[in-house]
Amino acid sequence: MRKKHALAVAALAATAALTLSSCGGDKADSGTTPVTDVSTAPADKAATVLDRPFEKPDLVLTDTRGKKYDLRERTKGKPTLIYFGYTNCPDVCPLTMSNIAIAYKKLPQADRDKLQVVFVTTDPERDTPKALGTWLKGAGDPAFTGLTGDFPTIQAGARQIGIGIDPPKKEKDGTVVSMHGAQVVAFSPKTDAGYVLYSEDTTADDYTKDLPALIEGDNP
Amino acid sequence: MNRRRTALSTATALAAALALAGCSSGGDAPELSVSGAFMPQPVMDDMAAGFLTVKNDGDTADKLTSVTSDIAGEVQIHETKDQKMRQVASFDVPANGSLDLERGGNHMMFLKLKKKPRQGDTVTVELHFEKAGSVKAELPVKEPTHNPDKQ
Repeated sequence: MRKKHALAVAALAATAALTLSSCGGDKADSGTTPVTDVSTAPADKAATVLDRPFEKPDLVLTDTRGKKYDLRERTKGKPTLIYFGYTNCPDVCPLTMSNIAIAYKKLPQADRDKLQVVFVTTDPERDTPKALGTWLKGAGDPAFTGLTGDFPTIQAGARQIGIGIDPPKKEKDGTVVSMHGAQVVAFSPKTDAGYVLYSEDTTADDYTKDLPALIEGDNP
Repeated sequence: MNRRRTALSTATALAAALALAGCSSGGDAPELSVSGAFMPQPVMDDMAAGFLTVKNDGDTADKLTSVTSDIAGEVQIHETKDQKMRQVASFDVPANGSLDLERGGNHMMFLKLKKKPRQGDTVTVELHFEKAGSVKAELPVKEPTHNPDKQ
């Protein structure tokens, strides 16, 4: 008896749910076509070429193998992309690294050998070398460099190239609020200066288009 | 027996109430529909983001107050401001407007994933609104870089 009545209730509830959702209209097409019209016109170019390039930051940190990594020394004369983010970031950080990775994988091997992609954590307490390494493999490419260290050093390095980051802050409910850098900065192999910025809206196609020029140190 | 009847009539009443809430057009109830839902295949084993648009054709505003999903121990709603994401208590769904959860902006954050969603999977969520009650939505899992605004 008990079972039967449970079933009856469930059936009615299901009917109710169906009635409700059927009135919702076009929700069946979820995922394929966004209904939102994108009113903002897409910018012509993803890249912002700086009139006054940044000097490469003097950053000495720890890589994903736990080894000391001197950014200036290791990337000298090599095209380099630098991005500041954190692994407990479900959206923008993996999106940015994945977009770069897609473009990276399309490059000929010789270019891939030249291009250095460096991800610097903004959340060093949680992003240990090991955690960073695992994440970078999934979000980006095993060839990418992941760096961690103490926060003030990372923050000072970011500031040198115009990227403002605040330390992770613990909220009252225990969650940690971290932040990612606003831009990816591209450094020229010719001058070692940071001369092009990419916002988080930059797509894999944009990077695919621009990387060959960046690898030569040319303007995209 | 008495108990059973009570349960049944409660369910019937509930059904009626829900049907009413869902169908009354032009009244003062929000009229919500969900579209453009997706989840980029996550990188982490225990964390993912989800995106969708809630359109409100009604003259009454509503609020998205929480989200639940059987694949996650917890689903939070987050706003992104100045490169920081922060949990919020609710999102407004304006009258005759929409709530857009989109890449780089506001999103659902799935925590304590029971299973890592893969491209091609579908994740079901239940969106809980202050006035309209619960609405189910299905999020197809897309490639990690999926971003409909950019395609």
